Amino acid sequence: MAHPALSIAEKDLRQRIRDRSAIILGVVAPLVIAALMSLAFRGTETIHLTLGVVDSDHGPAAAGLVEALRSPGLKDLVTVVPETSQSAAATAVRAGHTGAAMVIPAGFTASISEPRPLPLTTLTNVNNTLAAQITSSIAQSFVAQVNADRLSVATAVAGGQSPTSASAALVAAHLTLPVQAVEQAFGAKELKTIRYYGPAMAIFFLLFTISFTSRSFFVDRDQGMLERILAAPVRPISVILGKVLSAFVFGIVSLSVIVAVTTFAFGADWGNPLAAALLSVAMVLAITATTALVIGVAHTQRQAEGISSFVVFGLALLGGNFVFVSVTPPIMQRLALLTPNGWALRGYTDLATTGGGLAVVVMPIAAILVYTLVVGLVATVFAPRALEP
Amino acid sequence: MSVLAIMTVSVRRVLRDRLSLFFIVILPIMVILIIGASVHGFSTFRVGVVERGSGASGKQVTAMLSSTPGIDVRYYPTASALEAAVRRSAVQAGLVLPAGMDQAIKGHRVVTAGLVAESANPTQQAAATAVRSVLARYAEQVQAARFATEQVGGKFGSAMIRAGHLAATVPAVTVVSRQAGTRLATLPEGFSYSAPTMLVLFVFLNSLAGSAVIIANRRLGMYERMLAGPVRSGAVIAGEALGFVAIALAQAMLIIAIGALVFGVSWGDPLAATALVGVWALVGAGAGMLAGTLFSTPEQATSIGPALGIAFAMLGGCMWPLSIVGPTMRLLGHFTPQAWAVDAWTRLLSQHGTVASIAPQLLILGGFAASSLALASWRLSRRLA
Repeated sequence: MAHPALSIAEKDLRQRIRDRSAIILGVVAPLVIAALMSLAFRGTETIHLTLGVVDSDHGPAAAGLVEALRSPGLKDLVTVVPETSQSAAATAVRAGHTGAAMVIPAGFTASISEPRPLPLTTLTNVNNTLAAQITSSIAQSFVAQVNADRLSVATAVAGGQSPTSASAALVAAHLTLPVQAVEQAFGAKELKTIRYYGPAMAIFFLLFTISFTSRSFFVDRDQGMLERILAAPVRPISVILGKVLSAFVFGIVSLSVIVAVTTFAFGADWGNPLAAALLSVAMVLAITATTALVIGVAHTQRQAEGISSFVVFGLALLGGNFVFVSVTPPIMQRLALLTPNGWALRGYTDLATTGGGLAVVVMPIAAILVYTLVVGLVATVFAPRALEP
Repeated sequence: MSVLAIMTVSVRRVLRDRLSLFFIVILPIMVILIIGASVHGFSTFRVGVVERGSGASGKQVTAMLSSTPGIDVRYYPTASALEAAVRRSAVQAGLVLPAGMDQAIKGHRVVTAGLVAESANPTQQAAATAVRSVLARYAEQVQAARFATEQVGGKFGSAMIRAGHLAATVPAVTVVSRQAGTRLATLPEGFSYSAPTMLVLFVFLNSLAGSAVIIANRRLGMYERMLAGPVRSGAVIAGEALGFVAIALAQAMLIIAIGALVFGVSWGDPLAATALVGVWALVGAGAGMLAGTLFSTPEQATSIGPALGIAFAMLGGCMWPLSIVGPTMRLLGHFTPQAWAVDAWTRLLSQHGTVASIAPQLLILGGFAASSLALASWRLSRRLA
């Protein structure tokens, strides 16, 4: 005969599969929500700027600027659209046809070497502040050499040199900006929305296992199930073990289905399969231990519902299942690492962005196991109380 | 009278239950706090800096970065910590200022700073562009100070200070920004973003979850017992609906009060905001009543309800502005009442909207409320007959 805990787990699982709400929480809801996120952000995850350019100058400086905008370095970021006039460019920006526009005024090239140079004007839209930021950054980088030369002459003159000889020396010197940024590629893969929110939503709905399982324990107890089971030669702890085991199996199955569907239907990449699987098992263990703790701490069904709601939403909010944890303030990012789900999400993120294997998830798995161990130990202290009549 | 009595019982049941108070009050406030503190990302670049060993010149560069609007600087101890942060999107670009930068600057060598960004990632490239322009502004002063010391002698340090002062006064080729479009089409950032969207999300979600009460009443034969007394079925339905409306209104007013007092949210024209909250409470009531007639067990209400509420909120622009999704998703989103409610709040909070300017949204939301309430009443009255 199977161990009593196994029989209890089997009965619990069968009951949950019959109740369609478990399948909805465990499989359908996370899939639907991950799909929605993936659809919503499809094609919008990367920044691309359509920039209107009005060249009223037609001189070499303007040509240089337009050439810089069309340089290979900016090819993926900026598409240049020539505009005939400032008002046409403004209309296009207002309507959202272009993200921003740059106006090179008539006489710009000539004015550069005069005491009062003409400004470049950017036309921006309050709804596209990123475009405004990029446009003004590109323009500023372009005029930086001109301004550096003007400032060099002024500083030398302020130090006592005559303006004419300072200007002559500058022309002879052919200066280039002495501080340069050199791009360091480090081979990271882009973190796509689905790669974060796929696991985030799967874990969020998995957390509800804590509510379901602890509630069902007290429902059973209130219906006198415990007394009846204990009348048989079954050790009391087997009942809790059975409940917790059903939570574990349900969690593993639910996560596996979600991984399979997101991989084949949405092309989500969970990274190295073995590393992802071990991370998932660790996370399910943490949920299982938390379930045991809630059963141990609560006295009634209502209390179990209350405590588990606090735990589920507390963990989800702190761990970053709702809000992409990287954009939160640093304090929130530290708090996330106090939760097992926060560590799991970090592990999935690192798997997706580094393309690495087991080494990447060693820390997250260790942290989750420490949580599981601590919570599990506290649970074994409290759990026997729940079995008292 | 019996309508009011039934409504009072429903409301009292909710108020007595500490768990439902968690979902009605505490959870929304926590979410508003967290999202409000996090959402600045639509218009700011987060830039990571490693400045260890770079000395006073490094400090000057980071000070220039921090004072640039649209750049949010975060510090990292090592280049590898910075790379991990860029990889995890905690920052969109990183700048590694070289150790010994001070000496290099004084030594008249070309100083290279590491820019951490992937060339295949346009978002990181956009952030890198912003960093480059700040670095170029700093380089202008370094070039000027070096040139001046070469020409007229003197200390580099004092020439650098002189160049710094002159940079503010010498006429330069400037970049002037002009607003061509000034009508803000999204909610303002921070709590003014999170409070209205979460009001829309939670009032609806709680109403859906509240449908568990109707299901429990149905299963316990509560309605049959009520109808055994001198109560008409219309009064039962109206009482239940009013209960939903009362709870939704209470929750909405609480979020508005806490939003205004604690988070400093300005909710726009009071009359228009009141009208919008009223209509939204009716939409919630309709959804809750309808769910109460469609779901068959309280478990379904508490599991499908929240999932449905979150999905609708995502489609309708409560979790991210619909202006950043494609046209198909935006159109699809407007099949949910949430999208119209968020549109209306956007007009109130960002565009000084009035009742007149949100009239189309109010009408459409009224339509959602009327049709769902009518359908739910019809289904419920059929069961009661």
